[in-house]
This record gives sequence, structure tokens and C-alpha cells, in this order.
Amino acid sequence: MDAPLSIAVIGSGPSGCYIAQSLRKALPQSEITIYDRLASPFGLVRYGVAADHQSTKSIQAQFSRLFERENVRFAGNIEVGRDISLAQLRSTHHIVVLAAGLSADRAMEVPGEGLPEVYRAGRLTRLFNAHPLEPTGVPTFGKSVAIIGGGNVSIDVLRLLIKQPEDFANSDIDDAMLAEYGQAPVSRVDLICRSTIANAPSDPVMLAELGRIRGVRFSCSDPIEVAEDAPRTALARAKAIGELLEVDPGPETRAEVVLHFGWAPVSINGDGHVRDVELRSVNDDRTNQRLGADSVVTAIGFDFDGGDWHGLGALKADSETGVLDQGLYRTGWIKRGSRGTIAENRSCAKTVADEIIADLDSLEQQSKPGYAGLPEEVRALAVDYAAWKRVDCAEKEAASEARTRRKFPSHEQMVAIAHNKLVESSAAQRGN
Amino acid sequence: MKIQVLFGTESGNAEIAAEDLAESIRNDNQEVEVHDLSSFSIAELQHDSLYVFLCSTYGEGELPNTALPFYADLSVVRPDLSGVRYAMFGLGDTFYKDTYGQGATKLDDKLTELGAQRTGEIGRYDASSWEPVGEGAVVWFAGVLEGVSATR
Repeated sequence: MDAPLSIAVIGSGPSGCYIAQSLRKALPQSEITIYDRLASPFGLVRYGVAADHQSTKSIQAQFSRLFERENVRFAGNIEVGRDISLAQLRSTHHIVVLAAGLSADRAMEVPGEGLPEVYRAGRLTRLFNAHPLEPTGVPTFGKSVAIIGGGNVSIDVLRLLIKQPEDFANSDIDDAMLAEYGQAPVSRVDLICRSTIANAPSDPVMLAELGRIRGVRFSCSDPIEVAEDAPRTALARAKAIGELLEVDPGPETRAEVVLHFGWAPVSINGDGHVRDVELRSVNDDRTNQRLGADSVVTAIGFDFDGGDWHGLGALKADSETGVLDQGLYRTGWIKRGSRGTIAENRSCAKTVADEIIADLDSLEQQSKPGYAGLPEEVRALAVDYAAWKRVDCAEKEAASEARTRRKFPSHEQMVAIAHNKLVESSAAQRGN
Repeated sequence: MKIQVLFGTESGNAEIAAEDLAESIRNDNQEVEVHDLSSFSIAELQHDSLYVFLCSTYGEGELPNTALPFYADLSVVRPDLSGVRYAMFGLGDTFYKDTYGQGATKLDDKLTELGAQRTGEIGRYDASSWEPVGEGAVVWFAGVLEGVSATR
């Protein structure tokens, strides 16, 4: 092909940044643009990783190099399906890689899931992370909450709910959300995991971290038994839980945390409001138990938002291959499901990049202009990397004491700062 | 003296550090090669090079997946590494204080056990610091080289 290869990556989170890295390395002459519906890059690193896990967020420094040194363009504030169609992107770029992740909390599909105090973990992590498109308002948790799910997301939610305000030093937690939640914090949390301790999906270090929070008493409703020859992670998880039970909460116990392993929800019960959760034992025939709870948080993974994804039909996120169609690929959660750490997206991206490279000869040969081929009014919306840096600086300047930044809760405001415009004029321009 | 930078990474930070370090070595007009440990064989280890390992930590203080085959080969084949010189830089996160930087420590123990000789102290990078990882590696390696020339 004589004309430079043009590549569009949709989504600037870890999977999008890693695939751009791999493609830049393999195709140094190609033109690469990462599109994002938000004015900010980095996706879940910014809005999914918990606000008190700043060292995990430091991966941003690595991804920033794409835009600062590797000649990858950031085009934020452009939403595929709203501002431009997938078909338009495919007609202007040789290669389009979907890396938009999975944003919808998976449903449990048990009776009572629609009760008003049943909340999705994704909503909570977005709220605590000041996601600009998440409807605000602190959920009503009452005195006790049952968290369904045993992965790292459920432990994130648990930690955010039982920490005290002073535990959030050096974070970028949304202070408005934190203050409102602090008015009526929960005093009991039940964490319900359907797997055994040995097979639970949580990282042991995440469990161990809970023991550093003062004023919390931990207990476990099930014996902590793991076979001696179990995998190292299983042993480490059992050890971490054992140590949690030893933690002395001190004279002022604020909260009680009860861990349950091998239990799955049957129903959420209550007359108009959550009253209790019925659980069944997954691996044996112990009788069902009912746990009293004022609210429920579901954290059982993420899935596609809606059935038809931009005319591609109902996709399932469990694909061996990253190939969707000629010149169309997917990587990250949207390919392999919502599992694993940020780093797992790196090896995932490498395999998809290899598939793309192997397909190069079969691509359409005609020249495709890439970003420059987008309609002018769409390009006018774009927040490029330099514009994002204005938001980045403004957020850091606005940080209060003991905070690394203060994220702006309004997307219009982010775009206005990015474009150096007043909020009013930007809102008018977008027609909202 | 040829310098070979070998990185073992999970998230990609050690690769970034390796590239930055190699660039700085090149700017000093020294010969340098960079290899991913996942595609570097223990049979390639030579006496006339200085090997600079940049290695992260993953999970419960393990080596990153990309470095596991190299480590397994060392453990199984047990080559005699007398006369092989190396330096070690570990990436980790003090947030996980019990396992901080253990990946590099493990690799270092293995190389020493097989007779290789480490030059300088093990360098450390802490992800909780938010410092640029490449700069940390470059500053550390300058200190390693000073030690090399001082002992000549």
C-alpha cells in the first residue's frame, strides 16, 4: 500500500492505549487516532480504578507517552454512534479497533433486583470517581449493605464504604460524594461470593489492604480451608482472610464486615424496599439463609450496553479472535470479557495486533485519509491531547488539600476548559 | 563493553524504562541492545557483555509472566554463569508492602546462585511515587557505571 495506513482506535482506556502501543511499534509510519466519547483520555484508569488506588492509576504516565512522543492523536469528545457512525469511521480508516470496554453492570437475574435500594457497582465507582456523565445523587444504603460478587470491584466498593474521610488522603475521590455519604455511612457489610475461598476471583493483596482500615471488625461465615497443595494465590487469599479476622478494630468499632464464600443469591426480598437477601449454598446442601440488609450492591461483572452494537448485532465478549470483519477488530474487555487486571490488556492487545499485521495484505488498497477525512463539524468537537492537558492542569490546580486533583463533574465544563471557552458558549454550541 | 538491556514486564512499565535507558546509553555513544526477556534465551548469555535486567513484580510477589520462561530455564538447566556480569533494577509498588519489588529480588537471587556477578546495588522504582520510571532507571545506571569504572 502506498498511502499511509490509517488506524482508528475507539476508546482510550487501557485496551485502547495498549493496542495503539503495539500498532505504533509494528507500523511506525501509520496514522493512529484514538477516539473517546469523553474529553479525557484513559477510560477506566481514570473512572473505574478506585480513587484511593493512585499507584494503579500511575499507568497513565506510560499511556501519556503515546500522545506526547509516539505521534498518536487523541480525539476526545467524539462519540461513535452520536457524532459519527462506525460506518463513517470504517470508510475513512483502513483499520478500526473497538476498545470501548464494557460499561453495563451485568444483571443477577434474581427476583427483587428491581427494588430501589439495589445498586450497581459500576455506578458507585463512577460516582466516587466523579464521572461527568453519571447522574449524581448518593444512593441510600441504610445501616447494612449486602455486596454480591467476590471480585476486585466488590472489594473496591466495600473499601470505599468502610473507609473514613481521613483515609482518602492523596486520592482524587469526589469530595461532594464522600461528604454526602459520610452523613449516613453503613455499619455492616456482608460480602457474598459464590466461589470458595480457593477459587474466589479477588486478588489477595486487595483483601489484605482492608486490614489497614481502622475501626472495622471482620468475620467470615465459612471455614477458611484451602488444600495445602492449592495454587499460591489461593493460599495467599486464605492467609489474607485469616489475618483480617485477627485485626483488632480498637476501642471504637465503626463497622462490621462479614465475608461469605460459596453462597449465591436466590432473591432479594422486601415490600417496596430491600429487607433481606436469600442465599443458597453453591457447593453443598446447607439450607438457604436469609441475611438482613437495607441495601444491595451487585458487582458480578460487566457486559455490553444494549443488544445491538452499532449494527454489529449482539456481540458476546468471549472471543478467541479479535477479528470482527475486514479491517474491523476488537480488543480488551469487549473481546475477552470483564476479567483481569489492567496489565492483561497488554498481552491481549499484542495478540490482536499480530492478527491485524497478518491481515495487512488483505486490506482495501485505496487511500483512506484517517482523521482528516472526518466531517469538519465533527473535527471541531474534538478535544485533542493539548486541549486535554488544559483540563488536566485545571484539575490539579483545583485540588484541595490531601487530594491529587479535583475532577470536574460536568462534561460541558471539561470541554469548555479544553477548548478555552466559557461554559455557556460551549453548552450552546452542543445544543444542550 | 557491550550493554544488553533485558526487560521483564507485565504492564509495560519495565519496557518503557528499558527503552529510556537504552536511549541514554546510546547518547553516551555506547553500544546497547534491548531484549524482551520473553524472547531471550539463557544460551545467549555471554561473558563480554554487561546485562542490565529491568524486572517488575506481579501478583503475590511473582516475576511477570513474560519473564517466567527465562527464569524457569535458569532453574531447570542451571547453567554455570561464572564470569557473567549483570545489574538489576526492580519495579514495584510500595502500596503492596509485603511483596514490594520481589520479582527482581527473585531473579537476582537466581542469577547469583548460578555464579553470575552483580554490579552495583539493586535499583528500585516505586509506582506509588509517580516519578517517571525511565528517569529513575537512567540515574540508577549512571551510579552502576561509576562503580564499574572505579573498580577497574
